[in-house]
Amino acid sequence: MEFKKKILANGLAVIGEINKSAKSSAVGFFVKTGSRDETKQINGVSHFLEHMLFKGTEKLSAFEVNEAFDRTGAQFNAFTGEENTVFYAAVLPEYLVEVTRLWTGLMRPALRDEDFNIEKSVIKEEIAMYKDMPSFDVIDRCRSLHFDSHPCGNSVLGSEESISNLTAEQMQGYFMRRYAPNNMAVAFAGNFHWEQICSVVESSCEKWQKQAVSRKLEEVPGSKKKKRVEKSNLVREHICLMSPAVSIQDPRRFAASLLATIIGDDVGSRFFWELVDKALAEAATMQFGPMDGTGVFCSYIRCSSENVSKVLDTVQSIFESLSRSGITEDEMRTAKNKILSALVIKNELPMGRLIDLGANWIYLHQYRTIEDDINAIKAVTIDDIHSLIKQFNPGNFTQLSIGPVKAS
Amino acid sequence: LRGNDKRSAMSEKLDKHILKNGMVILGEPMEAVESVAFGFMLPAGAALLPEGCCGAGTVIADWIFRGAGDKNNRELGDALDGLGLHRASSVGSSHITIGAALEAENIAEAIKLYADIILQASLKEDQFELVRQLAIDGVRALDDAPRQKVMLKLRERFYPSPLGRSTLGEIAELKTLTAEKTKQIIKNNFNLSQTIFAFAGKYDFDAIVSQIKNLFETDQQEPLKSFTLGSKAGKYTHLRNDGAQVHIGLMTETVKPTDENYYNARVAVSVLSGGMSARLFTEVREKRGLCYAVGAQYHGLKEASGIACYAGTTPDKAQETLDCVMAEFNRLADGISKEEIERAKVGLKSALVLQSESSSSRAGGIGSDYYMLGRVRSLDEIKNKIEATSVDSVLGFLRNNKFKDFTVVTIGPKEVHPPSADKS
Repeated sequence: MEFKKKILANGLAVIGEINKSAKSSAVGFFVKTGSRDETKQINGVSHFLEHMLFKGTEKLSAFEVNEAFDRTGAQFNAFTGEENTVFYAAVLPEYLVEVTRLWTGLMRPALRDEDFNIEKSVIKEEIAMYKDMPSFDVIDRCRSLHFDSHPCGNSVLGSEESISNLTAEQMQGYFMRRYAPNNMAVAFAGNFHWEQICSVVESSCEKWQKQAVSRKLEEVPGSKKKKRVEKSNLVREHICLMSPAVSIQDPRRFAASLLATIIGDDVGSRFFWELVDKALAEAATMQFGPMDGTGVFCSYIRCSSENVSKVLDTVQSIFESLSRSGITEDEMRTAKNKILSALVIKNELPMGRLIDLGANWIYLHQYRTIEDDINAIKAVTIDDIHSLIKQFNPGNFTQLSIGPVKAS
Repeated sequence: LRGNDKRSAMSEKLDKHILKNGMVILGEPMEAVESVAFGFMLPAGAALLPEGCCGAGTVIADWIFRGAGDKNNRELGDALDGLGLHRASSVGSSHITIGAALEAENIAEAIKLYADIILQASLKEDQFELVRQLAIDGVRALDDAPRQKVMLKLRERFYPSPLGRSTLGEIAELKTLTAEKTKQIIKNNFNLSQTIFAFAGKYDFDAIVSQIKNLFETDQQEPLKSFTLGSKAGKYTHLRNDGAQVHIGLMTETVKPTDENYYNARVAVSVLSGGMSARLFTEVREKRGLCYAVGAQYHGLKEASGIACYAGTTPDKAQETLDCVMAEFNRLADGISKEEIERAKVGLKSALVLQSESSSSRAGGIGSDYYMLGRVRSLDEIKNKIEATSVDSVLGFLRNNKFKDFTVVTIGPKEVHPPSADKS
């Protein structure tokens, strides 16, 4: 593996990790913008804009864009989160230049009115689709309850109302402010020729104008509120618990991810043995969600209405026992093995490697090898975990549940 | 030693060995990976279960992990987790597949544990009750996941019984399932003669063969249980759910993986729904804004195959969406441009190479090939067959195999009216 980087005069970071033995290449544009960078009035604009990039440029129509990608056989898509919008493609090496040219073109989209109006319906369908997926809906609502009025709680999709009211001009303004070259990175992983790909990016992107961009960072303790929402068509109780954790910049992030694995990996964790193995809940997992300047532990549990209080009592006693007695050597060893093997397997695919490569650059302005991460995980001690539990007390959480209407 | 062919001319090779009892061992070595992924394909899929036991597969796939050999439930779980392996169990129409992906150095330990799970599961009564409860809860939870549910119901109604049986199960049948009955199913269906053990990644083939021989080789050969195909359920089914969208599932018959027209069918599906320039995405989403999620896939079983399509849309657009989707199916045979065929072919070939970098996909791929075709196709063979298709061959196939009957299932607040469909 060989790392390469070039920062263009306008601030655009071009980075790449070459793996000559890979059969494919992956390319991604990482734009440091997401729902937390939106105001209430334009909530959902980051995600809507992600859709609009596929609608073409001054030279290409939406259909021509799709055709051009499909001619290369690329597996391409994009996703928008609270903090980033990522456009990516996995492709055979011989098509990488073509696909990179396409992406660089699309980063300066036409944003036509007629496309905007049709895509608005698609976005509303996507909002409706997630309403029918309570396991997603509950996390979205819990995030908003946890972060209260802080923008980290903004919904990625926005609401039916905010999307209806959004105008093409507002989107244009947001695009100008956020899609600045100094607010993004383009990353390559797998099998590719660095000089060639770098000159493609340089010639297409060097004219982009630098902008003053910022994001206010602060640690958010979370509201610790509790709330239940009833929906008449549901049959199960969907519960989300959220509590504060370290940020993505914090070296303790590796310890935090081990802790979440110990508490809530889908098999073999405390949640698994106490809740799922005993058939109190059919799903119970916890994840560490590191963010820019802050972070969360997020748990999702699904069970019957009858089991809710038993499940929550069990959760409480799991957290109490962690605070009281900490974790065991065995738990630590197992969690390390799980995370290390997941890391190895994920990084065997250029597409898997791309995401870490880009994220490390966006958040840390740093290249980290897979070995750097492996060593950091191996170096975590039980004391590190115990001090995390003490400082963040994951048993003190925000709680939101969605479930059927209770019989009175 | 019944066969040990190593292919060298191709870009990848296949390691193969068959035990005396007929159990098949297949491996595909991959350079440049440190992981290995494996799966034991046990002939205990939903279609092979006795009548009245729908869901027993899900129960079995959980129960056998709750203690095996000299280890109790907790000890076995800890031993598997300690190896850092990522478990992957699935229940399909034909098989229960249990397997994992892990770092290569732990494969021997993992195989030892999986041998205990397959041959010496403890199958304790108290664990059975928990497992059955979880299986029932899993079926109930499906009501909160209409998108998954519609596709399960669709397969159930599209395939002649028992091929489309729900892999998750039916609550009424799970309620009457007993530990005794389930043990009997394990005894009858964990038939080593019909088991395939497939793996891909970094491994030492000779070491694995000798370990598997020691653990699994017997002199007994047993045939596969057979079943007779029943009838198909009705053409249109609506299930009421007051959610935000109408979830539409639609399926129609096409050729099986063994058919000479298989690649023509795959290219045709790709023209319909391969990439974002394909017909369904363009007509339903891009031009009309009817859906966010719309797409069709080839779904192949050994005995029957179909093209399955999903579309989710808000109630007022449901009828227009269904009409639009069906119109795209029906006009496919009218004409396809050379460019469309080329894009479909490039997409299929590229997906093949991209998947070939993942040990899990390759292990799954060689196992299913062997089951479906009795041999493993090389990537070059598949590429050449895709390459050999043309506008004429795909259109010829479509015109000789017109889409006739559509099975339609909807879940949501509003019904649709499929043309000339009888409601069941």
